[in-house]
Order: sequence, then C-alpha cells, then structure tokens
Amino acid sequence: MKRKILGSALTLVGLLAAGVWYYVFVYSKTHHRNVADEKGLFVQAGQIVKDYENDEAGANKKYLNKAIEIQGLILKKEKDQAGNTTITLKSGDPMANIFCTLKPGEASKLHGNQMLIKGICTGYLSDVVLNDAVVLKSE
Amino acid sequence: MKKVILPLFYLAIASVAANAQKVYATKAGQIKFNASSPIEKIEAVNNQVDSKFVDKSGQIVFSALIKSFKFENQLMEDHFNENYLESSKIPKAEFRGFISNIASIDFTKDGKYSVTVEGTLNLHGVPQKVSTSGTLEIVGGKPVIIGVFKVKIKDYGITGLYIGDKIASEAEISVNCKYE
Repeated sequence: MKRKILGSALTLVGLLAAGVWYYVFVYSKTHHRNVADEKGLFVQAGQIVKDYENDEAGANKKYLNKAIEIQGLILKKEKDQAGNTTITLKSGDPMANIFCTLKPGEASKLHGNQMLIKGICTGYLSDVVLNDAVVLKSE
Repeated sequence: MKKVILPLFYLAIASVAANAQKVYATKAGQIKFNASSPIEKIEAVNNQVDSKFVDKSGQIVFSALIKSFKFENQLMEDHFNENYLESSKIPKAEFRGFISNIASIDFTKDGKYSVTVEGTLNLHGVPQKVSTSGTLEIVGGKPVIIGVFKVKIKDYGITGLYIGDKIASEAEISVNCKYE
C-alpha cells in the first residue's frame, strides 16, 4: 500500500515538473500575448493624447499594458529599422500624436485614412505609443 | 541706398544659415538589451525608441518605454516587466547627455566618425552617470548613431534572485538609431 502511494506521488511530481518545464521553455517561447484575442478599451485618438498630456501617471493607470482600440485619421505610414510597418494617428494636437507599430502581416489591411486599430499601449514619449497593433478597420 | 542694404541683407541671411542648428530626431530607433548568462539567453529588442540630438551643441536624448522591449519568450518578458524593471510603476528609461566631440563632425559629408557620449542614464528610476564611445555615420546626409555599453544591473536598484546567476550581473545595451 505504502509503495503504491509513494509511486503515485512520484508520478504526480514527475508530471508536474514536466508541466512546468513545458510551460516555461516550450509554451512561453511559442505563445505570445495576442492583442487580437483581447477585448479592447475604446478611445478616440484625440482623447488618449489629451489624457496623457494632462496626467501621465493617471493615464498610465488607465491605458498602460492594456489592449486599446483607437479611432483616428492616419497621418504617416513608415517602416521602422526592423522592417515593421508603423503608422501615426492624428490627435488634433500638433505636439503629440499616436505612434503604432503594426504586427507583421497587418500592413496589407491598410486601405484608407480612417482607421480603427487595436494595440497594446506601452506608454507616452513624444507620442502615445502602441505596440503589436492589428487593423480592425481602414477605409 | 539699395546698394548698401542688399549686401547687408544677404550677409544677415548667410549668418542666420551658418548659425542655425538642426535637431535630428527619430521615433523608431532601436535598443537591444542583453543580459544573457552561460545558462540562459536573455535578449530583448525595442524598436520604438524616441531620440533627438542637436548638431551644434551635441545635446542628445534617448527615451525608451520598458514595455516596448520584446522578448522571444513571453514569460521572460513578463518577469522582466513585473519582477525586475517594475514597468507599471516606472514605465520609462531615459538617457540625457552630450556628444562631447560633436564639433569634429561634418554633417554635409558622408563618413564615419568616432564619438564619445557622456550623460545620465535614468533606469528603474535610478540616475547614474554613463560614458561610452560609439560611431556616428552620415549616410546620404542622414546621421546614424551606433553604440554599445554595459550597465551593472544592481547599480540601478534592480534586484532579483537570479541576477549574477541565470541573469548576467552586467547587461549589454546596444543602441542603433537612424535619424531624419
């Protein structure tokens, strides 16, 4: 009886160890956070920039590291040094806009100037910055 | 009268042009972070670096958001943000300083120059003096700054069980910014 319990306990520990190993070294390497699967917090381009300009710490509490859906007009489309497509959305404020780096493959969905995009807000530099963004609408 | 005024006018314009300073900027500069140890590869890249410098004074600023650093391993990225850099509390890192030998650079001619950059790096909310050498290259009239320097992780108040073990005690920071 004791041997049976010990045996099953050992099996359990072994399975657990294998699970942890798999999660840390295999799953985490191949599974990245995907903004497309997350519900986004909707905000107008002008509003998020205004929120950051008025109170950066408060805006970070509201937006930082969250999936944010932003509606706005495209001002610039460029490529960064790694070849990712970046777009700048107009806020209406000449001092700061929204700088978004698109996920690979999303650039082909850009058709028009009126945009609805969803990305992860990483904070505020000269512009409000979004990363890993997907294009929801472009007309 | 006209004969006197006109040359004066040209002189004024020429002197304004000669003294005008230019601010070079990018919002998509690149910084790589490497704290790999023999046991584990710990590398991240940030392609959303904001940087500006002034050609006359050599004044230079780099700003980077911690959450813009991307790791190959998502769990590593989460730990980097939550346990080490505490990016929800301190979302930004910034370097402010000077290119000390800016006067030796001819921005009108393509070429490669060695530069020395000195200033203060504010990482994890802790400011520390940093001095490093790098290159400034003029390519098609546009400057590119490349540099590598090391930071002792503990100097910035970053603590964690694995520093000096799985994580190198010194992280290598590589900067590569193309300016407009």
